[in-house]
Amino acid sequence: MSQYAALLIALPLMGAFLIPILKKISRSAIMPFLAFVTLVQTGIAAWVFKEVYTTGKPIIIMAGGFRPPVGINLYIGHFASLFVFIVALVSFLMVIFSMKSIKVEPKDKYAMLFLLLMLGATGMIATGDIFNLFVFMEITAISAYALTAYNKSGEASDAAMKYIILGGIGSSFFLVGIALLYGSLGTLNLAQIGQLAQLMDPTVAQVALGLIVLGLAVEAEIFPLNAWAPDAYQAAPHPITTMFSAFVVKASLYAMARILYLTSAVSSWGNVLNLLIILGTLTVIIGELSALRQTNVKRMFAYSSIAQVGFIAVGFALGTQAGVNASVFHMVNHAIVKALMFLAVGYVALELGGVSLEDFRGLGKRMPLTAFAITVGAISIIGIPLFNVFWSKMQLVMAALEAGKTGVIALILGASLVEAVYYIRLIHTMWFEGEGEKIGEDTLLGTIMLLLVALVIIIGIYPDAVWQIVQKAGKDIFDVASYVKNVPLMGVSP
Amino acid sequence: MVKRALAIITLLLIGFWLAKGLVGVPFGEDKMLVGEYYLENVKEQTGAVNAVTAVVVNYRGFDTLGEVTVLFIASTGVGALLWRRKKERSAKSEGSVVLTAGAKMLLPFIMLFGAYIFVHGHLTPGGGFPGGATVATAFLMLYLAFKEYEIDHKVFEPLEGLAGVGYVTVGLIGLAIGGYFLFDWIWQTWQFGHENIGRLFSAGFIPIIYTLIGIKVGTELTGIVDNMIKEEPKGGGQ
Repeated sequence: MSQYAALLIALPLMGAFLIPILKKISRSAIMPFLAFVTLVQTGIAAWVFKEVYTTGKPIIIMAGGFRPPVGINLYIGHFASLFVFIVALVSFLMVIFSMKSIKVEPKDKYAMLFLLLMLGATGMIATGDIFNLFVFMEITAISAYALTAYNKSGEASDAAMKYIILGGIGSSFFLVGIALLYGSLGTLNLAQIGQLAQLMDPTVAQVALGLIVLGLAVEAEIFPLNAWAPDAYQAAPHPITTMFSAFVVKASLYAMARILYLTSAVSSWGNVLNLLIILGTLTVIIGELSALRQTNVKRMFAYSSIAQVGFIAVGFALGTQAGVNASVFHMVNHAIVKALMFLAVGYVALELGGVSLEDFRGLGKRMPLTAFAITVGAISIIGIPLFNVFWSKMQLVMAALEAGKTGVIALILGASLVEAVYYIRLIHTMWFEGEGEKIGEDTLLGTIMLLLVALVIIIGIYPDAVWQIVQKAGKDIFDVASYVKNVPLMGVSP
Repeated sequence: MVKRALAIITLLLIGFWLAKGLVGVPFGEDKMLVGEYYLENVKEQTGAVNAVTAVVVNYRGFDTLGEVTVLFIASTGVGALLWRRKKERSAKSEGSVVLTAGAKMLLPFIMLFGAYIFVHGHLTPGGGFPGGATVATAFLMLYLAFKEYEIDHKVFEPLEGLAGVGYVTVGLIGLAIGGYFLFDWIWQTWQFGHENIGRLFSAGFIPIIYTLIGIKVGTELTGIVDNMIKEEPKGGGQ
């Protein structure tokens, strides 16, 4: 029965391949079809989530019926089931937004690329094989390149060009890293890599892991390979920006954390963690300082998103259970908040035709609901109590304290201060400056925004339920021994 | 000058770092954990004589499905970025008689050879991707030799989709019959062609999937060429 979770991969693929045929029958049916596929995907993901959390056992999908490491397996454990659900849900909400916001042709190609972006992120999170991870990363990346340039403006082509070159270099790094791992261990299965990691030559392991971290850093938006991100966020269609920030980044961060923790038995492991902590810190500092200077609000949110990614990376690099839990919690919270904020800012761009700070003057009077949504999101990101991000930042601080890294605590608090400056400036511009006529806001998008706002506040007031889930998901990454034990490896050993 | 010198020094440092890592990798030695398993069991488990094919389609079929998807995205992406309401071929001059006559004569041979490659994937080197690329070469030749030539979009795009749908459907039938996605039901459940190893009608679903991949790759690469070779008509606009 549990093998049917393979539909999480098969369904979006089937949907994407059916669209060229559907186009010949009826062009107007494409967007509703897209909504239908993502809704079914959300349903399957919800079922998988319930299944994994009630039984407490991961679902192992063996493609082709061959046992790993001979065949490829998917490992849908606590982490994967949670994030696959988030990916599907955010995609479904963004399809609704796309119906309003995508006016540029050709919509059929947009729908195909949209589904495949969702598929790529789902696959990256679910897979249990390192080469398969690379394939899904390519699916995600290449659909992201095409979607970045989708608006066909000069700015969009520019951003996509930057992205495609950096992404290409990153993937080749990653592939060389995989080749080194395979060369020294003779297996591609993640569980078996975890099992055999201590046999690896420390120098080889260090080079391979360094290459893998750098390769994934492009998609994960970690300094110095994130220069594409602000441009791409600004130029991509609004629903796609939301998807980048809400889950494409998270999938790559997860992949990085998964590979790092599986090889934690390697003696040079500490060096790789130090590399990641340095890169993460620089990501936060540069992201926040750049956000401070922006006058384009979408770009400001993009830099803020990058800075949050830095927090998550630093949390993973602490090397403790508490740090991983805090990072996963921050991933969940950030996905919710940034989905809300990019949705709202995209809607503003749609109604007012621009997203410079000027356009936001008097937004509180013109589009009160949207302005309210942005305000809640901004307050939450700063880390004010009673909102969800407060709790994950709190956990990050506590994890850093426990690991004895006082520098990280200073970083988080300092960055929050900078965030407060630019977000409060935005809130002030929206509510206390400018005048304007009220614009009728879309009820459907308004409902989605209110739903996300409610989620932000509910998690802010009752964080315990989500914290329980997140702790299990964090254990899934940190506890390598039980990850290896859960995969039914067949007896091919050295 | 300084820039170039710095670049060279950085590259040398990276190269040194990589070389240091490579020294510790026992490439070429007997370190094949899964590799040996494939070689020992390939005939009995998949019926393919070509071990690479069996790994690509059977053992690691999930990756191949992903690769097919990557190509599909590339073709869709090019289509999305070069989309215009009206497009025309931009060829300036007609090819010479030798070129057009030669192209006409070569066409069936290239097509036939492409089809041969993907149908015999389980027996000879090659398979769906090289076979499909060969078929696409035939179309590229038509585009280059004839000024007016254009593929039939009504057939090509749905065919590309159908081939993909076919691949996923074969996988889903495996899920229904054998309990696993991409399970080789023809070989393992029906046991079709078990006495026939090494001949055409063997190897379970490999020839079927490779035919689908061949069609898909052929149509996709042709579609990319078609999109890139056309321009907006002069003075027409949208």
